[in-house]
Amino acid sequence: MRGGAIPILAWGTILLLLAIGNWVWNGRLVGGLAASGAVAIIYLFGLAVWLARREAIRRGPPEPREDPETIPQTSLAAVGIGVSAGCALFGLAWAKFLLDFGIALFIVSVGRMALEFRAERASRRQVLAEEKHE
Amino acid sequence: MQPIGVAQALVSTRAEYEHLFSIYVPIAVGVFLLIVVIVVVAVFAFRRRPPERAARWHENNPVEATYAVVLGCVAAFLLYLTFTTEHKVDTVANRTRPAVVVDVVASKWEWTFNYPAYGFSERSGTVGRQPLVVPAGEAVRFNLNSVDVIHSFWIPALRYKHDAIPGSTQLITLTFSRGVFPGQCAEFCGLRHSDMIFTAYAVTPTEFAAWAKSKGRGPTP
Amino acid sequence: MTGWFGAVTSTDHKRMGLTLGVCSLFFFLLGGVFALLMRTQLAQSNMQFVSDNSYNELFTMHGSTMIYLFVTPMAIALGLYLVPLQIGATRVSAPRLCLIGLWTWLCGGLVMQQGWFASGGAGRTGWSSIAPLSNGTNTPGVGQDLWVIGVILAACGILLMAACLVTTIARRRAPGMSLLRMPVFTWTELVSVLMVVGSFPMLILAMVLLYIDRHGGHIFTGFTGAIDYQDLFWFFGHPVVYVMFFPYLGSAAEAIAVSSHKRWFGYIAFVASMMMFAALSMAVWSHHMYVTGGVTNQYFAFTSTLLLVPAGIEYFDVVGTLIGGSIVLRTSMLFALTFFIQFLIGGLSGIFVASPVLDYQAYGTYIVVAHFHYTLFAGSIFGFFAGVYHWFPKITGAFLRERLGKLQLLLMVVGTNLTFFPMFFLGNDGMPRRVSRYPTHPGWGTLNELETIGAGIIALGVLTFLINVFVSLRRRVPAGDDPWLGHTLEWATTSPPPPLNFEAPLPPIRSYAPLLDLREQEIDRARERAEVTAD
Repeated sequence: MRGGAIPILAWGTILLLLAIGNWVWNGRLVGGLAASGAVAIIYLFGLAVWLARREAIRRGPPEPREDPETIPQTSLAAVGIGVSAGCALFGLAWAKFLLDFGIALFIVSVGRMALEFRAERASRRQVLAEEKHE
Repeated sequence: MQPIGVAQALVSTRAEYEHLFSIYVPIAVGVFLLIVVIVVVAVFAFRRRPPERAARWHENNPVEATYAVVLGCVAAFLLYLTFTTEHKVDTVANRTRPAVVVDVVASKWEWTFNYPAYGFSERSGTVGRQPLVVPAGEAVRFNLNSVDVIHSFWIPALRYKHDAIPGSTQLITLTFSRGVFPGQCAEFCGLRHSDMIFTAYAVTPTEFAAWAKSKGRGPTP
Repeated sequence: MTGWFGAVTSTDHKRMGLTLGVCSLFFFLLGGVFALLMRTQLAQSNMQFVSDNSYNELFTMHGSTMIYLFVTPMAIALGLYLVPLQIGATRVSAPRLCLIGLWTWLCGGLVMQQGWFASGGAGRTGWSSIAPLSNGTNTPGVGQDLWVIGVILAACGILLMAACLVTTIARRRAPGMSLLRMPVFTWTELVSVLMVVGSFPMLILAMVLLYIDRHGGHIFTGFTGAIDYQDLFWFFGHPVVYVMFFPYLGSAAEAIAVSSHKRWFGYIAFVASMMMFAALSMAVWSHHMYVTGGVTNQYFAFTSTLLLVPAGIEYFDVVGTLIGGSIVLRTSMLFALTFFIQFLIGGLSGIFVASPVLDYQAYGTYIVVAHFHYTLFAGSIFGFFAGVYHWFPKITGAFLRERLGKLQLLLMVVGTNLTFFPMFFLGNDGMPRRVSRYPTHPGWGTLNELETIGAGIIALGVLTFLINVFVSLRRRVPAGDDPWLGHTLEWATTSPPPPLNFEAPLPPIRSYAPLLDLREQEIDRARERAEVTAD
């Protein structure tokens, strides 16, 4: 965990320097926007990693983790979301019923995903409660 | 007609290419052979050691930093060569006053060559039955256009190509030596891209003038 | 969870990596069949083995299948399987997001191939699908639409899985594993997935805009529109080739270090140069546009030529690892060494075409085809096989046969060089790329025929590999936890690893080669004991 944001932000900074070079020397709008967009995406990613855990910006080796880890085994919802996205876009070009089916399956899968997350949080609360009792 | 006393250096795209080529390729071949020899020798030299005797050292940052600087110098050298030749081929060549201007219109799947000074045009036809005729030893300006998709005007013997992009006119200037030079579209443009061929005939300025004045109806030189 | 349902819905990174890898291999074989059909057509000038339209579909689908459906996803697959093991984690971050990505990618691959069944045929404007050729006026039809959608889906899938890997590396390293103690392979994966995150959004944007353009939107029109399309596409199109290279470089590096019994040389320099290499790769893209007249060629010549600096550092590190080592010429090592030597031809030809004046001849010809096949096939794929032979025992618990492996290597080396080396000459002599037929120029027929024979030999090499996998899984030779005296944490667990990766506590992590550290301590202790008893 510790230091995880560092390579992301460092790389983003090198990209920033190169993007500036591109704007100054090449000066094309679309190319410049693409380069700047990439810088923004990378910085946002690094920022997100940092905000999730403050120590992501600190140097040094990670410390052992205290909290219990939840490890999902399967996710039918994930398969559903992926397949429905494929189905819907395929249907966009090929046949309308596939597009409709894809959208419906997507909604169902997102619902199921919410249920899967809820179940994971519930089992995590249960484990934490059991640990407290010990 | 060029004003008397003004010397115009004609840029030969082929000569510029061959000049760069003659430096880049030997360097590349040399680097390749060096690495191959080092790797092969290292592999043979260190095959017999038992694993416990493998060396423990695993870095030498001062040497690597120096090496990086050396590599940077090589890059700088190559860039100097590249920038000077590119300047000649792209900028200087286009500043030269051309002896002839040819408007090239690329379309699926043939080339049309217009000679505005002489008021006529030639269609290459697919598979290039009709040639592009130009004077040798003089600067020829090509204004490249396209009516549909991106094509690329390429004459391999001149070591040069440039895109013809719809909605633009791209200016290039080439100098030919005497001879017959095949040309081909080099940007994939659809079904019959393979057939979008033309042939350039570079003839003496006198022969060219005679042919052009007859609006191409005279015998192809 | 067992059974096929468990396999399909599993969020275990090893299962996901394996599924992605196996699917990618199927696409490799499919893309290879397309190549063989192309080479058959080109064996003689003016042959008509396939129609012109079919040929255009073949080279488009060959490139697209290889890039979107094999080399890139396989790089992610290797990362999904190995990175959590190498960093001492039990799982990836956001495994459900990863699984969504996997299925989205797979659907993309299937949708793209669906184009073969559409009237008018599959995608046929080249893998780069340059506008305005690829718009609705010039290339109408559902097949091309399905190609665009296939790319969008595959790209979204890869992007999700890459984001997952960045987060995993950021957040799930084991205690003690600071960034500068991560294995070499993990670093190559990190910079690769960073490039995916930074550049794939532009591809997706380009493809979405292209789709709209194909259906009435006037997006990529005129000169500016044409250049804009290429700006967006190549912004992705250059980094992706490094995504298709670095993980295989990492695989070869691991194989070389382990088979030299010496940790990888120049780690700090390597890490720094990988970060620079990846960043530079995001700044060079318009070297694909030198002949358009729409960009500042000099800027991109500058950034592109600079690439030789990090590339040179890599090679310095290979040599530094070999020298002083205890070298074993097992198949994985041989593939890795061949990767470095053959890739060099690709890399040096890359510096060649980085120069605009040289590119004015090379662009759109077989010189470029030779260049990128040397980097991607003679390079990356040989690195891939180095990784396969190195990690197959870990993943399956069984060795791959060495004899068959060496036969595969021999066939592939001969076939690869026979196929791609003559292309440099053909291109310089005037043969453009993406042509279904070529005129009878002197020498062209012979060289093309040789190339076709070479392609056949490559196919035999791949067949040998498939036989090796089949035989090795059928009559297993058990490998154990650490058959090669590995350096990194994946060798500190069983083969294959258990569901949560590590059952025993991890060894202390003090460097990027923790197992080698332990072994060296053991050797030192044994030597001390011997000295004591000798006194």
